[in-house]
Amino acid sequence: MGKKKCVAMLLAGGKGSRLNSLTKDLAKPAVPFGGKYRIIDFTLSNCANSGIDTVGVLTQYQPLLLNSYIGIGSAWDLDRKDGGVTVLPPYSESSEVKWYTGTASAIYQNLNYLKQYQPEYVLILSGDHVYKMNYESMLEYHIEKRADVTISLIEVPWVEANRFGIMNTNEDMRIVEFEEKPSQPKNNLASMGIYIFSWNILKEYLEMDDRDPNSSHDFGKDVIPMLLEENKKLFAYPFKGYWKDVGTVQSLWEANMDLLGEECELDLFDYDWRIYSVNPNQPPQYISSEAVVRESLINEGCTIEGEIDKSVLFQGVTVGKGTIIKESVIMTDANIGHNCLIEKAIIPCDVKVPDGTVIRSFDDEIILVTEEVLAGLNPTYESNC
Amino acid sequence: MKRKLLGVIDATTYHEDLEDLLTHRALAALPFAGRYRIIDFVLSNMVNSGIRSVAIFPKMQYRSLMDHLGSGKNWDLNRKRDGLFFFPSPIVDNDGNKIGSFEHFAANIDYFYRSTQEYAIIANCYTIFNMEFGPILKWHRQSNCDITELMRQDGSPMEMYLVKTSLLIKLIETRHETGYTCMKDVVTDIQSMYSICHYHYNGYAVMIDSIENYFSTSMKLLEMDVWKQLFVKEQPIITKVKDEPPTKYVQDSVVKNAMIANGCIISGSVENSIISRGVKIGKGTVIKNCIIMQKCQIEENCYLDSVILDKDVKVEAGARLLGTACDPYVIRKGTKQGELMNS
Repeated sequence: MGKKKCVAMLLAGGKGSRLNSLTKDLAKPAVPFGGKYRIIDFTLSNCANSGIDTVGVLTQYQPLLLNSYIGIGSAWDLDRKDGGVTVLPPYSESSEVKWYTGTASAIYQNLNYLKQYQPEYVLILSGDHVYKMNYESMLEYHIEKRADVTISLIEVPWVEANRFGIMNTNEDMRIVEFEEKPSQPKNNLASMGIYIFSWNILKEYLEMDDRDPNSSHDFGKDVIPMLLEENKKLFAYPFKGYWKDVGTVQSLWEANMDLLGEECELDLFDYDWRIYSVNPNQPPQYISSEAVVRESLINEGCTIEGEIDKSVLFQGVTVGKGTIIKESVIMTDANIGHNCLIEKAIIPCDVKVPDGTVIRSFDDEIILVTEEVLAGLNPTYESNC
Repeated sequence: MKRKLLGVIDATTYHEDLEDLLTHRALAALPFAGRYRIIDFVLSNMVNSGIRSVAIFPKMQYRSLMDHLGSGKNWDLNRKRDGLFFFPSPIVDNDGNKIGSFEHFAANIDYFYRSTQEYAIIANCYTIFNMEFGPILKWHRQSNCDITELMRQDGSPMEMYLVKTSLLIKLIETRHETGYTCMKDVVTDIQSMYSICHYHYNGYAVMIDSIENYFSTSMKLLEMDVWKQLFVKEQPIITKVKDEPPTKYVQDSVVKNAMIANGCIISGSVENSIISRGVKIGKGTVIKNCIIMQKCQIEENCYLDSVILDKDVKVEAGARLLGTACDPYVIRKGTKQGELMNS
């Protein structure tokens, strides 16, 4: 194997349990987003666009779909002779099976993967977020600061600060304190879960963490505090731009709505920073003479005969005559019948909504329209499967 | 099927009536239906029929065709054995529109010698259809014919032929003695020593040979029954994928009866039209009965009726461009249309 300056490790084993049934059969990074993408497309595209060609993807929870989606990485131009994408599931050793018990243990158990590339730096990423970021600039910053570890941070609303790992820095952006989900945050600069480690430090501290029986083997809770205690050089890298954790049904809906409108923060049409994904190869969308389409994002393979307003439609969706869809997200191959009214809802992949169905939220809470919900509305409901 | 049938696509055809759209590209690479090139139809049909070895014989202006096909990966034809082969003609002169030129095949005869497939289907590159070739092979084998020629519903030839590979090699080798220059010569010779059969294909099939016919065939795609015959889920028409985002409609957009590919930003009004990938349509602009190809930019307050915009055309704000259904106004690739130029 050739030597690589920087290797990325992408943590993609998250369960995303607050996404309810959306993550019943798939890991959070595989959740569909933006009419065409899966959440992990953003991180993988960022790697490709930042010139990082060696990415280990760590999977654990419901990996089937994620594995087949990533394949050999060709969608992100990461099918390389030397490096490229490698999916890294937990494995058994002669003595025991070692599950990934925390973010740090997941990386620790794949040190051999990293060693074969003799990297100088390791970029640790999470596949749970939607954002566009140049990791190369962050690496330059890390080198310039002669840091041991660089953590990327973003300003979050004060009320939400207690949900994040909060960093307190000095004037030089050196991190003096790191609190994981503090009840009384002193700051609103949150960790984005993106770390660059110098290789020797990573190796040394992961080995140390592994020997500690009291550790939960988590970067935020264990490894970072340990590094701070030993006075290592941890620097904060301030990130400006769109960044969203789409961890709940509500935030997934919001992030989709953020893509609408003429000026949106997350520009999918930027050809200099394309978001790559596995392309479905379907015919262009067909908008009929009866249809009305306003302020929406619609993917190929859709057939629209109804009214679509402020909504995001994935590939292969059909919408019948007389149907009105407002502020909703309709996922791949969902079939919406005639004369339906759907407002503030997420319709998952392959769901068939019968003619005349009314789905409407009265308390602004987003409705996840599963087949169980539809069966509740109509006892004679027959699912697609 | 895998080891039985060889796919041969003749991509040398040039139609003068399509000149405005063919200055930069071969007919095979003519954009169609918003995201395809016309060769995608025959090529996808071959792949969907289980054909694993496809030879393409192009001539002149094949840069865009090669760029489109690449290694054949999109059609799953980037194989270690068999796969996609590209044989540009070493003969420079243009000897008309003969499908299956034996001279051209002869220059690459080794391909036929090396192939293990028992039969070969020779097809033109400009037919819009979605057809499975399995049934015709079965029919051909049962009929004991030497050559099967495909015919359309109306009885006109489709310029597609099925023969044993060994017979094809013989026809190529003996071309000087027999005087046959192409497949058509063989099937139209009433004194031919070979038995010729006709297979009638009842599905939708249109051959693109003029601007008028290109325009009307495109518009027919807006009819649901035609659409459903061409775009079948189990037999998809495959093309080169582009990483375009979904199409974005802004607040004031009005769209009626239109086929729109990915990566567009639609701020104006679009009616009875076909819009390709990556097109931007400005506010207050009206597009009616048009074919707009890839990456065109139409600024604000334009009015376009019965117009074909080739790739990368920029229409400046306030322009009015009018054609008719019989004579659509064609604007060549990469040009700029200002307001004053057409007032």
